[in-house]
Amino acid sequence: MAEPEPMEEATVREPLDLIRLSLDERIYVKLRGEREIRGRLHAYDQHLNMILGDVEETMTTVEIDDETYEEIIKTQKRTIPFLFVRGDGVILISPPLRS
Amino acid sequence: MIAPKRGPGGPANPSHLLPSELIDRCIGSRIWVIMKGDKEIVGTLRGFDVYVNMVLEDVSEIEVTPAGRVVTKLDTILLNGNNIALLVPGGAPEDLA
Amino acid sequence: MADAPPVQGLAKTPADFLKSIKGKPVIVKLNSGVDYRGVLACLDGYMNIAMEQTEEYVNGQLKNKYGDAFIRGNNVLYISTIKQ
Repeated sequence: MAEPEPMEEATVREPLDLIRLSLDERIYVKLRGEREIRGRLHAYDQHLNMILGDVEETMTTVEIDDETYEEIIKTQKRTIPFLFVRGDGVILISPPLRS
Repeated sequence: MIAPKRGPGGPANPSHLLPSELIDRCIGSRIWVIMKGDKEIVGTLRGFDVYVNMVLEDVSEIEVTPAGRVVTKLDTILLNGNNIALLVPGGAPEDLA
Repeated sequence: MADAPPVQGLAKTPADFLKSIKGKPVIVKLNSGVDYRGVLACLDGYMNIAMEQTEEYVNGQLKNKYGDAFIRGNNVLYISTIKQ
């Protein structure tokens, strides 16, 4: 587990390296259907199927007020201890900010 | 299952021009790309690959909305072949580029 | 690797184009209409994209910023260079 990684391992040569470098980190995932999740990345594969832990899911819905026609943006949040994300729903993944 | 019989020249192709050959002839010329959905793209074709991903230059992206046509000018793009519906060699009738 | 520079006036394939824009500022537009502006780090054959200093624009309005971002290729409509 704690063996030091060679320097090359820290470089991003292909997009999936960005995901590999985020293992065991909290990541942000934007999914189809106005869903966003944040959680700890435990595992992933080449389809971007992922196993996330300590997940917070945010769902956003936009309603139009019948009288004022104002957009009412509602967000709902829920926490899920452990889940599987099917890769085909993934739009964007952002790792935590690295300094 | 028995394989279907083929003529000596492989599967019959009445046009004698493969689709990819047609696109190849468009390189260097304007081309009009109609996407699945309400989007069209016009540009000068620089190249393409087996997926018909295309490199286009001096591009106009045209979005057909209820409010009318919204045109965005772009420099050089790589267009994903995945959502292409139709290709029209020669550009759009009223080439907006 | 001795990459011959693409000859001007000849076909510039998607692979040539991608080689030429690594490390450059780009706009990535998704099928949903959302735009991402940032510096292209790298991409692969699925058009999966890694970007840096990424800004997310929805209907032309800045909605989010990401240090690094991975975009799954199936959502990508196009990758465009930005005129300097």
